[in-house]
Amino acid sequence: MVSAEQPQGEISFQLPVERDKVQDFALAIGEDNSVLLEPEAAITLGFPDVLAPPTFTVTQIFAVPREERETRLGANLDYGRVLHGEQEFIYKRLPFAGEVLQGRMRIAKDFTKQGQRGGEMRFVTYETTFTDAEGEEVLTAYYTLIETAKDVG
Amino acid sequence: MGDPQNITIEGVSPGMEFGEASYGPVTREDIVAYARASGDDNPIHQDEEYARRTGAPTVFAMGMLPAGYLAHAVSDWFGGPQHLRRFKVRFTTRVWPGDEVVCTGRVESVEGNIVRVTMQARRRGDGPEALNLPSEETALVGEAEVELPE
Repeated sequence: MVSAEQPQGEISFQLPVERDKVQDFALAIGEDNSVLLEPEAAITLGFPDVLAPPTFTVTQIFAVPREERETRLGANLDYGRVLHGEQEFIYKRLPFAGEVLQGRMRIAKDFTKQGQRGGEMRFVTYETTFTDAEGEEVLTAYYTLIETAKDVG
Repeated sequence: MGDPQNITIEGVSPGMEFGEASYGPVTREDIVAYARASGDDNPIHQDEEYARRTGAPTVFAMGMLPAGYLAHAVSDWFGGPQHLRRFKVRFTTRVWPGDEVVCTGRVESVEGNIVRVTMQARRRGDGPEALNLPSEETALVGEAEVELPE
């Protein structure tokens, strides 16, 4: 689902927001809010269908697997010593079931600093912006990985 | 505080505290269900042998599972997820099978219609014996901004 022509250093992809995927994700994080689970409840609140939970767009990994992300964006991380350090989302609104989001991913930050136990730690932040069918911004996700120093367990 | 579904900006002030909202105890089945739903199929979270080869005593939850709980908790405190404008977490330690995840929050400021909240998710449990962990420690530190109606 990744399109062929796109700027260097950027991956464009589509993320369909399917109702059953939204409901499965919501149940996997113990959600019981009806706006995420029951279309009628969402419609009553003025939304077209169930809303995706705030962290739902992590499912972008289905559209762009790790190997592809690494090859295309070229961070060259050693995943044997990579930790998920931080995650941030900035929302205009939550996605709703039935829409297809357009995602654009790039490396927003890549820097090293001294670790507490010696050795350099590298921080890489992937930024993904999601827009809707009208091209309006829906949300932006920041996924920060930490590559720990080689000599630190 | 009244019904959180009808929470308004006037009903919120700095220093207000929320929680504890408790989730789990996290099971291996919960971790597998989250792996399937999220697409995070890193074997370190599901495959005991693989986890041990990396030096961990057993599998542990992907950080985004307790992050999902924390997003759920802050959504509930402020009338639903549709009010969230920002959600950020930093992972400070791992959450292990058998751990409860306990979420708390505090209103730091109210500016216009935006409420800024700091949050914590603590793991509470024995953890793997080999690690001799404290029975409770902070696993996630978070910040959120919520936009509330007048």
